[in-house]
Amino acid sequence: MGRTVVTITQQLNETESMLSPFRRTLRRNDQYVFDGLFAAARRHIAAIGQAESLLPFESAMLAMLLEQSKEIAVLQQKLEELMAKNG
Amino acid sequence: MDEARGWLLDVYADQVGGIILWLLTDDDKRLRLRMDFSVTFYAAGDFSLLRQAWIYLRDKDVKLERSARRDLFLGERDVLSVTTSNPSKLPKLFANLSRQFPSLDYYDADIPLSLRFIAQTNTHLLGRCRVMLDDEWVRAIEPLNSPWEIDPTPIPLRILTLSPDSNPVIRKPTQLRIRYERGEYSLPLEPTRTFMISLKADLKRFDPDLILTEYGDTWLFPQLTVWSKESGIDLNPNRDQSREILTRRADSYFAYGQVIYRGAQAHLFGRWHIDRHNAMSMGEYGLEGVMEQARVTGLGVQEMARKSPGAGITAMQMVTAIRNGVMVPVQKQQVEGTKTLIELIRADHGGLIYQPIIGLHGNVAQIDFSSMYPAIMVKHNISPETVETEDAQEGLVPKTLRPLLEKRLMLKNIVSDLDPRDCRVEILKARAAALKWLLVVCFGYLGYKNARFGKIESHEAVTAMSRELMLQAKELAEDMGFTILHMYVDCLFVQQQGFERSADFTPLMDAIADKTGIPIAMEGVFKWVAFLSSKRDARVPVPNQYFGAFDDGTIKYRGIELRRRDTTLWVRKIQLAVLEILAKANTPRQMMNYVPDVLAFVEHAKHNLKAGHIPQEELIVRQKLSRGLEGYKSPSPAARAALQLQAIGRQVAPGQSVQFLFTRGGSGVQAWELGDALDHRRLDTKRYCTLLDRAIRTVLDPCSS
Repeated sequence: MGRTVVTITQQLNETESMLSPFRRTLRRNDQYVFDGLFAAARRHIAAIGQAESLLPFESAMLAMLLEQSKEIAVLQQKLEELMAKNG
Repeated sequence: MDEARGWLLDVYADQVGGIILWLLTDDDKRLRLRMDFSVTFYAAGDFSLLRQAWIYLRDKDVKLERSARRDLFLGERDVLSVTTSNPSKLPKLFANLSRQFPSLDYYDADIPLSLRFIAQTNTHLLGRCRVMLDDEWVRAIEPLNSPWEIDPTPIPLRILTLSPDSNPVIRKPTQLRIRYERGEYSLPLEPTRTFMISLKADLKRFDPDLILTEYGDTWLFPQLTVWSKESGIDLNPNRDQSREILTRRADSYFAYGQVIYRGAQAHLFGRWHIDRHNAMSMGEYGLEGVMEQARVTGLGVQEMARKSPGAGITAMQMVTAIRNGVMVPVQKQQVEGTKTLIELIRADHGGLIYQPIIGLHGNVAQIDFSSMYPAIMVKHNISPETVETEDAQEGLVPKTLRPLLEKRLMLKNIVSDLDPRDCRVEILKARAAALKWLLVVCFGYLGYKNARFGKIESHEAVTAMSRELMLQAKELAEDMGFTILHMYVDCLFVQQQGFERSADFTPLMDAIADKTGIPIAMEGVFKWVAFLSSKRDARVPVPNQYFGAFDDGTIKYRGIELRRRDTTLWVRKIQLAVLEILAKANTPRQMMNYVPDVLAFVEHAKHNLKAGHIPQEELIVRQKLSRGLEGYKSPSPAARAALQLQAIGRQVAPGQSVQFLFTRGGSGVQAWELGDALDHRRLDTKRYCTLLDRAIRTVLDPCSS
């Protein structure tokens, strides 16, 4: 309400709709993964906002990377546990 | 000279000059008193224009003077001061002058008279005072208590309640229910003459201080005027018989992001009239709350009952300004300072809103900063005139808020010390809630474009500070080993293995309050709480949508169907019942055990609907009309219902809500106000079941994941 600058949520929505031709061309199963990237970015709206950047999509991509690294770390740990269990 | 003591009921301009005061005296009399009272407004600007204004005003029976007065932002200004001893003439005088000289700046020209009066005499509405009298003339008046007193002597009001036997919009009433103290009876509306004579006699006999009505603004009082003419019985509901009812017309306006409809109003002189159906915030904090707001703001009870708290906080700022010799501008002149794009991006944020971690969580504490924004304004001296200066004296806004904040905190502390069954609890709670609303809107008014004392930079300074404090709180919590599940503007949801009772979180709260300097309170510990995901993509979390059960079994929910006014009562009731079933679970894991109970309950509810066992009132859908009917390309269900009303000659304005039922066939809706009975077989039960299913999925989905 009463804001001059569009919010990060709005900016992300706009970027996403700008990329809709890109998404449309992807295979159905890739589209789901693509949507996951934006879902990952949306978990960090507050941080992207706090970054106060002119190009918030850069921060959004960082957020996507961050979620990915987190997932890798979790998988790595699971793998190590499995390997340890199986000797 | 005589002396009288009592409560100040009403203050307004006397049409022949000076003002009228109504005093409810200690010996239960109602005195109409008169007092000399001059009011002054100011004009500033180009000297030659001021000179012309002087010439224009010379023969208008006013006192003219040249003086210097303080503008909050510009400092001392040379002004032409215009004083009249007849306050009732001021609005017209000012309107004419400003039409002649539109480019001058005007100050103090539209301050409500009651505010001038309390600022000058230090009394307050509903407050106790002592007056020295010469017959009906007040020679001196002094306050006997302060509006900040925590437990003021209650004012012994005589209340008369009037309500018709039906909603006049739907059905023509035939009787008026009259209630006074313990007596209650019904008075037939016809024959009109008999009705008018009886009502007139009742008014005279009871002589109420407050007439509490249903549909008084929109039906009863306008109708009384008509009946007076028809029957020749002159009935003036004012206590001041020299005045007529003051009526204000209905309007629609845009505020808080939505179109709001306000019905016509009927104000009285010497006593108050409140229409329960046209009182914006009565539902929130009742008559006690409205009276509390009148006490601290200086706006009359009749005004406060019908206006938003924003009007109240503006009034308080005006009083602070008058008391500190600052002029109140008629138009707001503060424009936003220039900013570079990056500065704008940096400044233009709201509060900090985290995306919660989706799903069910056990043993989660919710802790809230108390009145965070006002507390920041007071502690950090944020006010429109101080925002870009260092070491400024306490600004206008913090000065206005400080006593309000302190009083609310004290009321809250008293309530928490009392036994919940104590009869004072309800009243104290209502008063604290009324003060809370004044505090809540104050922040918005720092940046609102029509606020008298607003500057967007001060608004931004508050949110910037709040984000900083939230991050400090988060860091402290994480240092102490907590996980942050969610943060929303002024509240945090934290969790840590082994922390289950409220007391476990005390060290964290103490540390946060210590570091930030803002008081923080425990809302409660959830035994389980579910944060919801977006309906569009289950991987995307949504802020501030959750439901959970505290360790004492209380349920709390935000953002779900239950909280939405457009959800039918039937769906809300069932969703709440379902939450009550789930609240029996003590851990997230136990919740699965209750899902079969829930499903059975919902099936039963659907069966009842199809069998026609649900009262149709519970199936009413309520939607606001967001524009005029001609503005719809494809009419929404609400618009289709409004069209049905229009067809029988009833107009619906934008912002008014329309009530309807979903029906099979035809336009798919039937406007509730048509009043026609609807066969339950015509109800669109499928549509209602879909609405119900959606609400049930909201609460069941998190249990199954």
